[in-house]
Amino acid sequence: MSKRLKLTDILVTIVISIGFGIIYKIWGPLYYAVKPLGLHIDQLIYGMWFMAATVAFLIIRKPGVALLAEIAASSGEFLMGSEFGLEVLLYGVVQGLFAEIVLMAFRYKRFDLFVISLAAISACAGSFILDFYKGYVGDLSTWNLILFIAFRLIGSIVFTGVFAVSITKTLEATGVTKLVRPSSKKDYEALNR
Amino acid sequence: MNTFFNCKETWLHKTNPSLKLIILLCLFVFAITIHQLHFMILFTLVIALLFLFGTGYSYKHIFLLLIPFLFIFLSTSTSMILFGKGETTLFKWAYVHITKESLIRGIHIGCRALSFAMLSLTFALTTQPVKLFYSLMQQLKLSPKYAYTFMAAIRLIPIMIEELQTIRNAQKVRGVQGQRNLFKRMNILMIPLLSQSIRRAHRIAVAMEAKRFDASKKRTFFYEIGFSKFDIFFASYFLIMFTVAYLFSIHFHISRYRC
Repeated sequence: MSKRLKLTDILVTIVISIGFGIIYKIWGPLYYAVKPLGLHIDQLIYGMWFMAATVAFLIIRKPGVALLAEIAASSGEFLMGSEFGLEVLLYGVVQGLFAEIVLMAFRYKRFDLFVISLAAISACAGSFILDFYKGYVGDLSTWNLILFIAFRLIGSIVFTGVFAVSITKTLEATGVTKLVRPSSKKDYEALNR
Repeated sequence: MNTFFNCKETWLHKTNPSLKLIILLCLFVFAITIHQLHFMILFTLVIALLFLFGTGYSYKHIFLLLIPFLFIFLSTSTSMILFGKGETTLFKWAYVHITKESLIRGIHIGCRALSFAMLSLTFALTTQPVKLFYSLMQQLKLSPKYAYTFMAAIRLIPIMIEELQTIRNAQKVRGVQGQRNLFKRMNILMIPLLSQSIRRAHRIAVAMEAKRFDASKKRTFFYEIGFSKFDIFFASYFLIMFTVAYLFSIHFHISRYRC
């Protein structure tokens, strides 16, 4: 039961991220449509951008997958010529790293909603740090800033936490996760029986 | 991106992709440290020059690509202009409070978003993904395991888009009603797309492992990518232009507006 990433794990992770990337592209216009209002309603769906990390981790359940998924999602977007461009790549690395840290803190052994939501919050915090440097977000007036933070936090818990867990449950029902998940102790016991 | 339109090869295409990527990352960090509005505008102009005349695409396509940029500029700057902090009031109406400081800052981050967008599009337009990954393997010693899987995954993008279309059509034929619930709507698209992609990725990965794509010792490469005079040209373009821009802004004392 190797914990290192094999070629299969890497390819599946990247493909999952790209799958999300395509879904993002479909939802992109929605993001644009609400953005210029200035009331930060767009932040409610910001959480989708971290979703690849937790879903990939829940499917493959190995160290490093969350980080790789975010890097893959962002570089895919970058190479396709996204308007957000190179900054996406940096955001991806930081968000993935922050999600990874939480999962590492639980030694990659817990896959429940609580831990995944924590990872979501952590990734969200990572994106804030970059926003404070890049976008002068801290200079918004206070009520606007609180709205901004609250919306993004809610969005990331709903999408990256709750929705990711529910999607993985459904995927488990289809049986595809058996292909890629490392065999557990229970599987070996079943063989010996 | 660069396969969408035909273009003639320019010197930017011949620059080493790894070097291009590193310089871009440096520029990104550099841009974050710029706090004078005038220098930021000059910075944007330097990049715009490269984007408009360096990529080798016809002007029609360049202008087509420019349209979303205007939108980025507006959407990034408006929320800062309308709701930012500041003392000198220019305009006030209900919650909207435009101040001199927020206006300057709004234009500043608008320019920043614009220059990032143009930089990365310049990169995407003049770099072939395959060359980029070969270069990353050769110059930056990226493990071939990662590089080849990335290249394989890029080839899967069109297949996945096609498949999404198939899924949508199939659902239409079977009379799946348009769900009002956002999550249910995402679910019925995402589950089939993801499960099919995972199956396909698994098949491809098994084949790639069988062909030893994950072996890293003593590889030879089909594309040998090295350095050329164009790399020096690329690096010195930014060096010279930014020095000129900096001297210009110092000479005319126009660094008053700080952000």
